[in-house]
Amino acid sequence: MSNAVVRKTLISLAIASAATLAQADVVIGVAGPHTGAYAAFGEQLWKGAEKAAADINAAGGVNGEMIKLVKADDACEPKQAVSVANRLVDSDGALAVVGHFCSSSSIPASKIYEEAGVIMVTPASTNPTLTDQGLPNVFRVCGRDDQQGDVAASYIVDKLKAKRVAVIHDKDTYGKGLADAMKSTLNSYGVKEVMYEGLTRGEKDFNALITKIRSVDADVVYFGGLHSEAGPLVRQLREQGSKAIFISGDGIVSDEFVSVAGSPKYVDGVLMTFGAPPTSYPSGKKVIQEFRDGGYEPEGYTLYSYTAMQVAVAALANNNLDPIKGAKWLKTHSVDTVMGKKDFDDKGDLTVSDYVMYEWDAQGKYHVVE
Amino acid sequence: MDIVLQQLVNGLTLGSVYGLIAIGYTMVYGIIGMINFAHGDVYMVSAYITAIALALLTFFGIESFPIILVGTLFLTVAVTGAYGWVIERIAYRPLRSSSRLSVLISAIGMSLILQNYVQLSQGANQQGVPTLLTGALRFHVGDGFVQITYMKLLILFISILGMGVLTYVIQKTKLGRMCRATQQDRKMASILGIDTDKVISTVFVIGAVMAALAGVLVTLDYGAFDFYVGFIIGIKAFTAAVLGGIGSLPGAMLGGLILGLSEALFAGLISSDYKDVFSFSLLVLILIIRPSGLLGKPEVEKV
Amino acid sequence: MSQAVGINFKKSSIDALIAGFMALVLFGPIVGVVLDGYGFNTEFVRVAWMVAAVAVGRFIMSSFFQTEKGIAMAFRYANNDEGVEVLKPGHKSKMVWIIPLVIAIGLLVPFIASKYVLTVVILGLIYVLLGLGLNIVVGLAGLLDLGFVGFYAIGAYGLALGYENLGLGFWSMLPIAALMAAVAGAILGFPVLRMHGDYLAIVTLGFGEIIRLILTNWASFTHGPNGVSAPLPTFFGLEFKRRSSDGQTFHEFFNIPYDSAYKYMFIYIVLFAVVWAVLFIKHRLVKMPIGRAWEALREDEIACRSLGLNHVLVKLSAFMLGASTGGLAGVFFATYQGFVNPSSFTFFESALILAIVVLGGMGSTLGVVIAAFCLTVLPEVLREFAEYRVLMFGILMVVMMIWKPRGIVRVTRTGFAARKGVVK
Repeated sequence: MSNAVVRKTLISLAIASAATLAQADVVIGVAGPHTGAYAAFGEQLWKGAEKAAADINAAGGVNGEMIKLVKADDACEPKQAVSVANRLVDSDGALAVVGHFCSSSSIPASKIYEEAGVIMVTPASTNPTLTDQGLPNVFRVCGRDDQQGDVAASYIVDKLKAKRVAVIHDKDTYGKGLADAMKSTLNSYGVKEVMYEGLTRGEKDFNALITKIRSVDADVVYFGGLHSEAGPLVRQLREQGSKAIFISGDGIVSDEFVSVAGSPKYVDGVLMTFGAPPTSYPSGKKVIQEFRDGGYEPEGYTLYSYTAMQVAVAALANNNLDPIKGAKWLKTHSVDTVMGKKDFDDKGDLTVSDYVMYEWDAQGKYHVVE
Repeated sequence: MDIVLQQLVNGLTLGSVYGLIAIGYTMVYGIIGMINFAHGDVYMVSAYITAIALALLTFFGIESFPIILVGTLFLTVAVTGAYGWVIERIAYRPLRSSSRLSVLISAIGMSLILQNYVQLSQGANQQGVPTLLTGALRFHVGDGFVQITYMKLLILFISILGMGVLTYVIQKTKLGRMCRATQQDRKMASILGIDTDKVISTVFVIGAVMAALAGVLVTLDYGAFDFYVGFIIGIKAFTAAVLGGIGSLPGAMLGGLILGLSEALFAGLISSDYKDVFSFSLLVLILIIRPSGLLGKPEVEKV
Repeated sequence: MSQAVGINFKKSSIDALIAGFMALVLFGPIVGVVLDGYGFNTEFVRVAWMVAAVAVGRFIMSSFFQTEKGIAMAFRYANNDEGVEVLKPGHKSKMVWIIPLVIAIGLLVPFIASKYVLTVVILGLIYVLLGLGLNIVVGLAGLLDLGFVGFYAIGAYGLALGYENLGLGFWSMLPIAALMAAVAGAILGFPVLRMHGDYLAIVTLGFGEIIRLILTNWASFTHGPNGVSAPLPTFFGLEFKRRSSDGQTFHEFFNIPYDSAYKYMFIYIVLFAVVWAVLFIKHRLVKMPIGRAWEALREDEIACRSLGLNHVLVKLSAFMLGASTGGLAGVFFATYQGFVNPSSFTFFESALILAIVVLGGMGSTLGVVIAAFCLTVLPEVLREFAEYRVLMFGILMVVMMIWKPRGIVRVTRTGFAARKGVVK
């Protein structure tokens, strides 16, 4: 009986894979957390990639072939990332992948894409390890945590002249990576943090931690993590009467940060590092307007995902749809995207780090700090 | 000094929230001996209903805080209670005569269903509610101060009130007697004319109502939630229920307070990295010394 | 016979109305009012559809259960709680034919299946191992363990960290990890096995969480959330890489073109062998005194103790054996994924393994194997449903439990006949 069940499943899987292979389109995977706790980011990834593919198809496709997107769900679990990556390269015949989102998914998946010779362009995985592995096919259109940490640390030391810095992270690949990078740059400037601790993702009560921040008398709180924890954290910080300046990274770039914090007045003065605004590029403005006309606010990683798709398509289009040549080509050529011209170094990182400091205001909007 | 006192206050308020949710676990366990893993997600649903009720009430132009609070409480409790009833009816009642593990797996499935149902209909993004009640009581101690926000006072007040009402219902009313009878011997109770199915349904509704109380208060206080929020708080509340002695109402509250206090004190005075390791170790230690929890009745080994 | 006989349509309609009203109360707020910042958008059309679907469904169900067929079905459900099925003495199992067939097909799989299918099957086999391990603890010894993932994590991290710090490869870590997990099982088991039922469950849950939290927080040793990469198995010292850092690779030695599928094939074959070995050992153990003791202790602890069984040792042996099987599974998981991080070892994973055991039919080996494949292959098959995948998975879990509360395969046992000439 057991073999019958297995056999049936195998047969149905085989049929399913044969059906997808039969199409002649250019298949590109969009891998990310489409379900699970991080599904909000998966949606940003998908919306960006979907729009980019639609725009490219409307303009004639890739060398005349239409792009066909495959939604690949990894739920930010490494286990699922491995099987979905194998599925993308094997059954779906993807030539390129936009994704994954979580660094902990991107790292194991990248090895599978490398073996299969598929281009991987991640719009969001900022952990340095990903490109430091030295795989030839891995690119990212976002920055690295260490670049982001540098910008924050030098701002804290040079502009704020702060001496007592509390470093908090969310014990996750992204948050901890960011906090560690910031901390090591800070230490290299001769400033020692007064506190370095992690909180648990998914919890909402950080009062104990905040009382501790109050007790060490910090004047700057640096948080490596996402808006889901940053919102309650900054709110409870203010409720306990602390006036410490709150700084975070690109994990809090979302209007939800304001609604989660409870009121715009709590986010007033919060600083964050993020890539230079896409609105500063003429091409970006048009795409953003189109997104808004479609009733979707392109926040967070939406435009990064759009950019990642453009990078992957450019590599394929200029190399007769050969992903291995395309990956080599990307390292020596620059690509025009909605977020400006992108150049990649030998590791697959962007050559120019475009992180700048933003500040939230009392209306719940953010703008670049001059 | 002020820091330690402040941490005690933090722990107390956190603990009362754990206690409220733990009641749902403890009552259901007491009556049918199942671990209701979907309970944390019922709490999550109530957080969404709170935000929806708030949005609706503000939409209809209601501004005063007491009316909003009462209206939200009423709506949330009613709808969440309905969820509790339906979940029991669909996922647990057909398994009444099966092994307890089957019900456990059904509950885990139900928890997945609730999470994904809410995610699909409300979107996966973080949700928030506006701050309605601000301000705090501050006491000056030495150089510093100890504060407790008005919202936290409200949480404490309503938890104590809810606990009191529930204890009265269980100890003094006819419904309470029926519950206790069913808990002691379901077969005997049904022979004596108690509709045990109805009693069990009622217990699920009561558990959901307590989770809804916690859902309204915590959502108004922290302001942030998503479809995944029930998981961690559910595990914590379950731990609290076991710590206090699962099946015992005062035990649930006591367990909640101990858990909240130990987390706050450990996080505040030692390290927040290992606070959960500490609470779980404390749990193991207490259970080794008292195998039925703090206030649980020791299991009688029948021959 | 006409179907309509005996159907009380008034009752069905009332049932449908009540169900529809409940659906309105439940779906109205959550589905109908979608939060948007502090405001909301309304989506009443989909509420109307859902309410209508529930009402119609309830009407059909209510009518069906009034027909003879329906009454018979409801009766069957109410009475499906029978215990172990006892076979006639001298019953010949059909397994004698099926097992070689399964082995033959299993050995063919790596050569005919695509790489993706192969990875899914490997994952399935890893869960078979996990299920078998937990089956000893929960199914046979009756100890509810909600922290089984802790042993799995010990195995997986054992391989990754053992390779990183001590240079131990897959083959040396395979037995060491099993041993480590067994020791961890003993350390956990010794103090807690005095506890009963659900107290044991929460303590083991705590243990699983403690392991995961330590893996997350002790960053200087475990690299925290960043994870550690794990080595691939070697084929008599030959590596399965495109280029080897030292020595020859598998494809160079055999002079065949490189294919990344080889490593999965090799992992599959080793895993397949290990699963069969575990199956065999378990099969024998159940028939040995220790296996009998586990089951006896599950059924009646006091009676066993009165008869002089050392309950702590018996429980401990079940715990350690189960744990070591979990450790083995962890090693395979780490080498298959090439990377481990704490997010693979959450409580949900424990729940999934428990679901395998319960769904398979507590104590039934065949059931565990089938359920493990169902629960790992199912999410992959459900990928067609995209974002509805996990919702479907949850619904199937509930439906399966209601449909087969005793699991897919009922435990059977060969009966004994009194020998002639002995006491009658």
